[in-house]
Amino acid sequence: MKSSSMPMRASAMNFFRDHITYVIFLAITLYFVLFAPHFASVSTASAVLRITAIVSVMAIGMTFVIICGEIDLSVGSVASFSGMIGALLLDQSVPAYVAALLVLGAGASIGAVSGVLVTKLRIPSFLVTLGMLSIFSGLALTITGTRPVSIVDDDFSNLFWNGSFLGMQAPIWWTIVLTAVGYYLLHQMPYGRRVYATGGNAVAARFSGVRTDGVKIFAFAISGMTASLAGLMLAARSTAGNPSLGAGLELDVIAAVIIGGTSLFGGYGSIVGSVVGAIFIGILGFGLLVLGLSTSIQEVIKGAIIIIAVSLNRR
Amino acid sequence: MAEAKTSPSQNAIVAMQRISKSFGANRVLSDISFEVMAGETHALLGENGAGKSTLMKILMGAYRTDEGRILFAGEDVTALSLRERIDRGIAMIFQELSVLPNRSVAENLFILREPLAFGMRVDTRTMVRDAQALIERYAFSLDASARVGDLAFAQRQMVEILKAISRGAKLLVMDEPTSSLTIHEEETLFRTIGQLKQGGIGIVYISHRMADVLRLSDRISIIKDGRLVGPLDPSKTSIEDIAAMMSRPRGDAPLPTATVPAKRHPATSIGASALEVRDLATSRKLSDISFSIDPGEIVGLAGLVGSGRSTLGKALFGILPDVSGHISVAGEPVRPGSVSRAIAAGVALVPEDRRLEGLVGGRSIEENLALPRLSDFSLAGPLGPMAKARIAALFRQYRDDLNILCRGPLQKAQELSGGNQQKIVFAKWLAMKPKLLILDEPTSGVDVNAKRDMRELVRRTAGDGVAVLLISSELEELLDLSDRILVMAQGRITRSMGSAHDETGLRALLQAEAARQTSVHAQGVAA
Repeated sequence: MKSSSMPMRASAMNFFRDHITYVIFLAITLYFVLFAPHFASVSTASAVLRITAIVSVMAIGMTFVIICGEIDLSVGSVASFSGMIGALLLDQSVPAYVAALLVLGAGASIGAVSGVLVTKLRIPSFLVTLGMLSIFSGLALTITGTRPVSIVDDDFSNLFWNGSFLGMQAPIWWTIVLTAVGYYLLHQMPYGRRVYATGGNAVAARFSGVRTDGVKIFAFAISGMTASLAGLMLAARSTAGNPSLGAGLELDVIAAVIIGGTSLFGGYGSIVGSVVGAIFIGILGFGLLVLGLSTSIQEVIKGAIIIIAVSLNRR
Repeated sequence: MAEAKTSPSQNAIVAMQRISKSFGANRVLSDISFEVMAGETHALLGENGAGKSTLMKILMGAYRTDEGRILFAGEDVTALSLRERIDRGIAMIFQELSVLPNRSVAENLFILREPLAFGMRVDTRTMVRDAQALIERYAFSLDASARVGDLAFAQRQMVEILKAISRGAKLLVMDEPTSSLTIHEEETLFRTIGQLKQGGIGIVYISHRMADVLRLSDRISIIKDGRLVGPLDPSKTSIEDIAAMMSRPRGDAPLPTATVPAKRHPATSIGASALEVRDLATSRKLSDISFSIDPGEIVGLAGLVGSGRSTLGKALFGILPDVSGHISVAGEPVRPGSVSRAIAAGVALVPEDRRLEGLVGGRSIEENLALPRLSDFSLAGPLGPMAKARIAALFRQYRDDLNILCRGPLQKAQELSGGNQQKIVFAKWLAMKPKLLILDEPTSGVDVNAKRDMRELVRRTAGDGVAVLLISSELEELLDLSDRILVMAQGRITRSMGSAHDETGLRALLQAEAARQTSVHAQGVAA
């Protein structure tokens, strides 16, 4: 009897250790439920999910890049840029769906360019995407001379933010759809296995015939595309393309991916983890707000909790 | 062959006396006594895994000896740590040099003890002057203010050696110091060693190249199966003598021989060779490589470390970018330079370094097995999901077939033993049904039983009609498995022969080929 209970306990301990961020996540949520007024409600839940949808969507793309052992710092400014382009296309009376597809294609191309620079010219992704961050935040401002472009197209607003379907709002749908697609791509398809192999041991992957450069370029393209989708959602939310909408988002996105258990060194990670990480950050911000703490103190507490969560999640 | 008799003399810089070491039940060194005099070069020879590096690690203090003691300059240092021994003056020159490429020679020499001027500033002028004085004392050709990264490899090696000496080293251990040097640079190193000897420094010289060893050293010792043979006087011994001493006597093979009958597919009945190589070359290492392998044939590739064997394997597998020449597999030409083209043509490579090149250690066994042909496991075309059931079946088949010991398909590859890891690498390529299987040191670092399993597997694979190119430093293994042996030296195939040779003959031949190619090359450089 004793011999069978020991491995049981050991595996329970392992489970606890492997999922420590989920434990912290549940503990903090429980704290807010108990102490923040009216926290446990459907409206709170849907508000949090709506707030976190943008970070979730971007984190799903970022997960591919980070598992490959790279980083994409340009996602925030690519989102701003995409919102601007989308708004300008709508302003020229381009139909909403066409405009959206064009913008998503542009985002994927921007990501692919980063990927090519990283793999073919062997420039570290930190530097390439830092440059891209600067280029696209500058371009977003330059296109209209820093003026926002308002959006009057209802199709567009409904599709990306204001609409709802089967009682759920558009941003929540986008989160679900992207999670499902990302999960399928990373955990079900051969491409996902190549991503893990590339990040886990690029040399062995090449010796197995994996084209690691192509795998990375595609990962950057995915990240660029999710960033531009987030940009469209941001534009629809504020019914305007605003050149600084996405500024600074990359930090929340990377934090979400890392909290979700993805290794910054590559080779480990999951899509669901990244989405949970994004929601974790959202709940934290929202809960602290409901508790009546000022935004400046919120930032301090948020930062500290992120560091604690990541340090406990170390491999 | 006469043994130079030496009682523990007062002149010895280091005297290792009656050293023994076991790892678990495995006795690696038994009762070894080894001495180096001041101003002496004592060469240490032995096969991979014979115990050379274990003995040196014990000398440096990285391992503790089980028995015996170590005297350094008359003092018993057996209980001292690695740090304390370095302070006493024992230094090792590593193959991968530990110099800072972006700093000057002087800065490298005086790192952590820079001369200071007023205000805690580093006194660069004094540092360069002192460094230059040190360089001149040993008559090295170096400029103290040159950036180390701009120097040739042999000069970087000098910096490393000077760094050790300037910190008071009296004994230098050099492990394969010529392995990265050009012929020209080797001469420089040999002169350097001459100057060190005159300065009273003792040197332990570890090398596979017997010709160098005979020329350089004052005494030669050989480690074989954990025992020391010698010391020998180089003027009274020859390459043939040493080769005989390093080889196992015939009929004393530790591993049972073939249990699988070889059913060879004669080349004539099929027509095309499995592999046909013509005029293969790379810009740096290989030249004029032409050979062929028939289906079901095992061709061994013999040569010393650095002769280009692994490079040839990698060139055939398409992982090197600058390969020229013609390769055809089963009659179909394969343009070199792409792994995916090579794999598509049916070439598989079990690489030398399985942790770095063979496996993604953090991922599961199952995933590693399926990696070379993931697209084949996709249900419903390129966008379909993975066929998990088929991958699981693949795992079960090879676990049973190759007798892989593991907890299950999801265990991480890095948790397995060396032998089982190697079986996974093997299996992942067998699953691809290759036409040509290239094996680079397939049994290095695996235990005796796994070695036997691997050999049986190689025979079985060839028996199924796969052409095998076997690269191995274990000559006994090459002779046991191969139908034919190609000898490589200096990036060329210099000889092809049946496996009729015995181990001693083959060993002497390899040394002779290496020496011959070196002298041919040196004449070319001089011309």
